[in-house]
Amino acid sequence: MAKNITFIVTKDCQLACKYCYLVGKNMKERMSWETAKEFIDYVLSHESEFPEESVIWDFIGGEPFLEIALIDRICDYLKLRMFELNHHWFNSYRFSFSTNGINYHTPEVQRFIEKNRDHLSIGITIDGTERKHDMNRVYKQPSTDPNGITLSSDKGSYNDVVRNIPLWLKQFPDAGTKVTISSTDIPYITESVLHLYSLGIHQVNINVVFEDVWQEGDDSRFEEQLMTLADAIIDGGYYEDYACSFFSEQIGKPLDPERDNQNWCGAGRMLSVDAAGKLYPCTRFAQYSLREKRALVIGNIKDGINQNLLRPFLTLDRVTQSPQKCLDCEVASGCAWCQGENYDAARTNTIYERSTAICLMHKARVRANNYYWNKLYRKLELEEHREEYEKNHRKSNPEIC
Amino acid sequence: MKTKIGYVTAEERDEIQSLFERRNGLSELAKILTPDNDVLYQKLVKDMGETGTKFQNWWDRMAAQYQWQGTENGHWEINFETCEIFLSE
Amino acid sequence: MMQYLVILLDDTSVSYCHCDNPHKERRLIGLDDLRMSIRYAMMENLMVQMVYPNYALPQEYLDVIDTIDHHDIVPWGTGDRPVQEPDVVVMDGLSGESPVLRNVPYVLRITKAGLFKSVDAVAQLTQQVARLNVVITDVETITDAELPKYREVLDTLAEVVKAEYLTGCAPQLNLLTDRMMLDKPNHCNAGVENITLAPNGRFYLCPAFYYTDADDNVGSVAEGLDIRNPQLLRLDHAPLCRHCDVWHCRRCVWLNRKMTYEVNTPSHEQCVMAHTERETTRRLLANVREKATFMSEVEIKEIDYSDPFDVRKEW
Repeated sequence: MAKNITFIVTKDCQLACKYCYLVGKNMKERMSWETAKEFIDYVLSHESEFPEESVIWDFIGGEPFLEIALIDRICDYLKLRMFELNHHWFNSYRFSFSTNGINYHTPEVQRFIEKNRDHLSIGITIDGTERKHDMNRVYKQPSTDPNGITLSSDKGSYNDVVRNIPLWLKQFPDAGTKVTISSTDIPYITESVLHLYSLGIHQVNINVVFEDVWQEGDDSRFEEQLMTLADAIIDGGYYEDYACSFFSEQIGKPLDPERDNQNWCGAGRMLSVDAAGKLYPCTRFAQYSLREKRALVIGNIKDGINQNLLRPFLTLDRVTQSPQKCLDCEVASGCAWCQGENYDAARTNTIYERSTAICLMHKARVRANNYYWNKLYRKLELEEHREEYEKNHRKSNPEIC
Repeated sequence: MKTKIGYVTAEERDEIQSLFERRNGLSELAKILTPDNDVLYQKLVKDMGETGTKFQNWWDRMAAQYQWQGTENGHWEINFETCEIFLSE
Repeated sequence: MMQYLVILLDDTSVSYCHCDNPHKERRLIGLDDLRMSIRYAMMENLMVQMVYPNYALPQEYLDVIDTIDHHDIVPWGTGDRPVQEPDVVVMDGLSGESPVLRNVPYVLRITKAGLFKSVDAVAQLTQQVARLNVVITDVETITDAELPKYREVLDTLAEVVKAEYLTGCAPQLNLLTDRMMLDKPNHCNAGVENITLAPNGRFYLCPAFYYTDADDNVGSVAEGLDIRNPQLLRLDHAPLCRHCDVWHCRRCVWLNRKMTYEVNTPSHEQCVMAHTERETTRRLLANVREKATFMSEVEIKEIDYSDPFDVRKEW
């Protein structure tokens, strides 16, 4: 199992996406080298507190590549120190990025990629067709706010992202993209997934937002889109080499309260640090991610982690946080949650109250998913390809937040 | 052309995967470490040699143990996910 | 099910638990609020526990209090005694004087340093009163390095309790005798079985929630009780505690929230203190049994951990 350690290197981004959960993005909070170094020194000098076999050093923003010079310095220092300390993570580490892709082609980013090629995982977010992408992923307005808070403009970012996709896929042929679906995106799901396939992206990790944004009838519209998508994938033969995380054989089954009681979310098993040197159980608990609640800080780079504050995260299970309707649900498997969103939406300051805002959307997904697999397997049976398919086909990644 | 020639156990896979990761880590480290950092540079050079030897020893040991076929211009590859061994020519 | 209503009669009413009462200025509960809360308790079938300040209440208050069956929790004091026959007397630290009322349970609020220093006095007190509840007010600050000292203190107290047992007496010291008397958890259950009414007329999960943040209320007599996420206060929603057999632990939801930000999760410090008491109790039971037949139906198993968090993966 890998430890995920996230540097929130900046809270700035070129974009101001309309669905972005980062409500407090700004241009002021940029991580300094001194903070990054102190954090690294803390983590690497407390090896026994981090027994995980592997580590994923994750860089997030805002847009992380806005701070490529800092990231380059951080990664060099990490490599040197892990080696110098004979740290067990030197044998198993990755540098991971979720980027909007706008700066991907720049010499600074490309030099960094070349230097760290064997240890990189980079995901570029592209939401689908131009109209779907540009509905939400728009540039920010030039800021006039004294606190640097950003506002959306009308200018979409599709063209500036899509031009970098070929280079990205050349460097990372197996890379996947992350697509986020909000209420207004529903009509464009099918065209968007197919468009991403046409760009050469074989793995589309797609999920609906956890926030309570859903309108009456969205579930029916969602189901309809997924049915259309299912037909398109099967009739077009995309299922052989492409994957879309909406369709998974594992979802839509009842869950046993004892056997299937693990928490979905990895918050608490991860660690995030921000520009101020504050530590969080996941980025989603930093103040810029929260609408209603105060940040849940579990320590800082000077004093380290307050282990007592991790206890609720590490003892959290599915049953304890779920309402009865989820425990009784016959299609519960695959219904995800985000601990940060649960915390933000809860009636008290707790991570133990599961938000069920996606309930109807999950059920719609399950119905379309059932249709997808029944139709696909029937086709494969008739073509006598089922066994071969089950053995070789590209598996979807587990849902990601 | 790739031909599947056998399997290794998960433990054997873990061993070579760890060496593979270390070798990659060392070669990326070599891009940023200069001889003026004498102590660390010497440590790196020594480690690269040792890791390379262990890496080759693993293949030699496995090839002997499982009697894998080889060719003059071919080399063996492993799929870390499936533990399958291929001869690539 | 709610069973008790704790009424803090004044802002300076004595604290009988972990949290200090920071209020220094007297402010009596409004007489109307007191009447309404008594009426509420009658309608909800709640047993009332009146918590007194260290001064005599006006007669009109005593008259209203007298309209309902209740228990009186009073501070230790040599001055004006607020009630003649209290049900619980609270000592805030050791006074050096002997208790007057020998048949009444006493609460001793004491710091760990105070306990470490005055273990003999605490042992003596145990022999003098019907029951002694020792409340360590800074339990959350105990370090692993201090645990051997705590064990030593408990061992000293256990020797005294053992000697009393062997002479046919039945002393009650919560830290050492409660666990062997219990056959199921006996937690505080604030917000589940009891609720507190503060002098401002509002409900709180317990007095500590009022002391630390008056805005942190859960309704009022007029508006009704409004506990959000009440399930999280119950044992079945406490992932560590529901597996634990340290039944005498208070499972203090206020301390839980203070230390871990969650009412249903105890801190390491709370767990190791309670487990140290459990272990000393287990050994005390065995020691007494070496000399006499004693509570043969009770079994406290030997365990090899002091914090259930460390063995959570085994559940």
